[in-house]
Amino acid sequence: MRKIFASLCVMTLLAFAGSASGEGIIRIGHTVSLTGGASMWGQSEARALDMLVKKINDAGGVLGRQIEFVRYDNRNDGVESVNVARRLVTDGVVAVIGPAQSGNAIASAPVFERAQIPMVVTTATNPYVTIDQRTDAVRPFAFRPCFIDPFQGTVAARFAITDLEARKGAVLYDVGSDYGQWLARYFEEAFVAKGGEIVAREAFRTEELDYRAQLGKIKELAPDVIFIPTSQKEAAMAAKQARDLGIEAVLLGTDNWGSPDLIELGGSAIDGGYFVNLTDLADPDIQEFVEEYKAAFGEEPVLPNPVMAQDALLMIVDALTRAGSEDGEALAEALANISDLKVTSGVLTVDPADHNPLDKPAVIQQVDVPNATFKFVKKYVSVED
Amino acid sequence: MFLQTLITGLSIGGIYSLMAVGYSLVFSVLNFSNFAHGAVIMLGAYVGLALATRFSLGLGLVLAGSVAGAGIIAVINERLAYSSLRRRKAPSLYLMISAMGCSVFLENMVYATIGSRFYAFPEFFGRQVVNLWGSSLSLLDLSAFLFSILAIWALHLFIGRTKTGIAIRAGVSDMTMCSLMGVDLDRLISVVFLLAGGFAGIAGVFLGIKYLVYPTMGWVTNKAYIAAVIGGLGSLPGALAGGLILGVVETFVSTYVSSVMRDVFSFSLLIAFLVMRPDGLFGRSGEEKV
Amino acid sequence: MDYILSIVILGGINMVAVLGLSIFTGFTGLFSLGHAAFVAVGAYTSAILTYYYYVNYYLALAAGAVAAGAVSLIIGAPTLRAKLRSDYFAIAVLGFGEALRVLLENLEITNGARGLPGIDSFTTLPVVLTCLVGGVLVARNFLRSRWGAACIAIREDHVAAETAGVRLFRTRLLSLVVSAVYCGLSGGLLAHFLSFIQPQMFTLVQSTQLLAAVIAGGMGSLSGPLIASFVFIALPEALRVAQMWRLVAYGLLLVLIMVFRPQGLLGYSELSSLFRRGVVREGERRL
Repeated sequence: MRKIFASLCVMTLLAFAGSASGEGIIRIGHTVSLTGGASMWGQSEARALDMLVKKINDAGGVLGRQIEFVRYDNRNDGVESVNVARRLVTDGVVAVIGPAQSGNAIASAPVFERAQIPMVVTTATNPYVTIDQRTDAVRPFAFRPCFIDPFQGTVAARFAITDLEARKGAVLYDVGSDYGQWLARYFEEAFVAKGGEIVAREAFRTEELDYRAQLGKIKELAPDVIFIPTSQKEAAMAAKQARDLGIEAVLLGTDNWGSPDLIELGGSAIDGGYFVNLTDLADPDIQEFVEEYKAAFGEEPVLPNPVMAQDALLMIVDALTRAGSEDGEALAEALANISDLKVTSGVLTVDPADHNPLDKPAVIQQVDVPNATFKFVKKYVSVED
Repeated sequence: MFLQTLITGLSIGGIYSLMAVGYSLVFSVLNFSNFAHGAVIMLGAYVGLALATRFSLGLGLVLAGSVAGAGIIAVINERLAYSSLRRRKAPSLYLMISAMGCSVFLENMVYATIGSRFYAFPEFFGRQVVNLWGSSLSLLDLSAFLFSILAIWALHLFIGRTKTGIAIRAGVSDMTMCSLMGVDLDRLISVVFLLAGGFAGIAGVFLGIKYLVYPTMGWVTNKAYIAAVIGGLGSLPGALAGGLILGVVETFVSTYVSSVMRDVFSFSLLIAFLVMRPDGLFGRSGEEKV
Repeated sequence: MDYILSIVILGGINMVAVLGLSIFTGFTGLFSLGHAAFVAVGAYTSAILTYYYYVNYYLALAAGAVAAGAVSLIIGAPTLRAKLRSDYFAIAVLGFGEALRVLLENLEITNGARGLPGIDSFTTLPVVLTCLVGGVLVARNFLRSRWGAACIAIREDHVAAETAGVRLFRTRLLSLVVSAVYCGLSGGLLAHFLSFIQPQMFTLVQSTQLLAAVIAGGMGSLSGPLIASFVFIALPEALRVAQMWRLVAYGLLLVLIMVFRPQGLLGYSELSSLFRRGVVREGERRL
């Protein structure tokens, strides 16, 4: 008994031999969902980053040093994201790429802020990733290369009114998602501003898969379009159940629909649905990237995460070069002033006031089940299009 | 909307009944809450999924396969985790803890090995919908409902008419007397778990077809406990009634009151029944004998 | 060093909660699958007080603990009174925990299911150690008192205990409230350490982990569960084991312990007795 106890103690203490940090290496953290519902995007992000960092390192790295990633799986979970954030801080990274989800990013932000390490998310689109909701001030160490949800919600609403000629709309969203709740709000505001009418606003609990009660109510009110700002599995379930209930409205979604398994999970029910996305495989700006990815990995990238991740890395490299040092504050300063930087998705300029990129376009895609692909429909360049 | 809500409620309730039956069966014989039931349901779904996608079998074979698979898993579960405790006459507390351990173990094994991706069954029923006075009833729901009723009725016949069934009823009454009468207890309990597992398999496949297959899908068994308690722990007609009632009431609450607060209502109902009417609607008296 | 410190702090926070559950399950013999709910109440109460109202940290911690104790009365009063079998009670507490979580997910002030980020990190090692040491002292005194003896009597044979004059309902309720207060304190410490809380952090999984520590450490022991809970936190972190394997191990451990060594690590005895040369009381080594 005593021996077991003593050896347990020794084991525990010994196991804490930390790894020494290497000189001559710049460590960049990557918090990403390698498992969990968002894993298809996450795996693609990791691959794209590895692909790009190899090119950068082969060309001499940055500040004369090689870049190394410190990568942890946040499992698309808020608590795990915070754990990962703390681990990255202890690991002494100079900057962090990710998370990809707004909820996880908002949870991780205070940790990086306290440690003064810049965080460049990939596809987290909620405005409060870069703005602290309690104080309404910009977070000095949070940045992003993607558009924000007010734009996404507005684009969806405009598409619904102009292209789908919808007059009555309904919304079904996840009450536990920062992303979904705010998107629902932005969509509604824009939809109503353009003359539409929101007839129903239904919510469900996170992880819930049966929305027939909510959809039953929506069916009674006969909307033309149902806006579903959720992840792909929930959208798939909602589509199936809506069709089972005999609802014929057009289904409209957002960038979290865009994982390939949407088609597998939703089947024929999701065919013909539309959603907003950050970029499309047919986008001329990213063709070079798509070809390179296909050549290296034998399959198409799962957009838009890998493109955004590369954008984030390029932003960090540029900031490091211009700041000339690894110091957190200097890096943040440099990141806030990025202007006309050539990135994978095009050209990027950051607005120092809210750390969001200026003029990022959005695309509308349509789900094509028979061909198992997402078809490009339309591109919106700015709010006033 | 009333009819549609009722239909939706019954279809959800049918699945609850299936889950509650397996759970109640074990409870009535062994007197403990088998918290691992949810994990068996989940494994049944995965077995069915593998049969449907890897081997492209039709629905009938998929169901048969997962019934067998889940049944066997349940028996193995019993042998490994419960039988030694049962023989030692350990308090039900220990059995419950062991069950909890099994559940956590199995779920996370699946998560760690197969992965947390969501999977869908092939569309066995297509998108066919039956129209009833303006309300829609999908063919899947109708079939699942009818099948569940049939299965439970078959179980009822089995327990009432066959020799093994009588032995089970004897075991429910008094285990010790039962073995004194010459019944092989170990085999009897294995049969009970086989049956419970079989029902778990059916439930798993229907859940998988209706929704998705993923490692934590067994957590929906929380509702099975509530259904079993409402109907009366240890009663088969109770499990059926409890499941349907819970499904219908939940859906009405979801539609007319609040869809996000629905679970507060369900669990409050559970607590209310446990406090005021622990025997549920059809259960036998469950007071501990001194 | 920072990393080791955070492990130690997390371990300590967990130990406080396990201490509470140990009193309830280990010493009073009542199985609970919902104690994570009390941790949640403590966490959210103290976090809301410091985040929105800038209340003093120690006051907030105390408020969290008291709130958890009060909430436990809500579930304890109706269920411990009725002659509820242990199964039924466990399910009731489970249901209560789930219902509480849904409530937390829907209130505005808790920021709902999205969680509350940016809580000030006031929890430091001295604070945790004080709580832990204080907690152990209080627990020991409680268990040695009249009330503690009553709890243990209930665990051993509640019918006989009642016959001997123990007030069943009151003692059980007291045991529950005390355990809830410990869990609430643990929750407050946790919230101000992680700086982020979400209702999903307080589910059946967490309740199971607490229970696993109590069982593995041994029912009827204070030091056993403390050791077990620290090992459960520290070892996987040290080995950088992924979360999912950690839970696989928990599950397997629970089953193995129940089947092969139900008394756990130090069932019915304390760490101190390991170091004492004496006759081990065989009578206590029963199932």
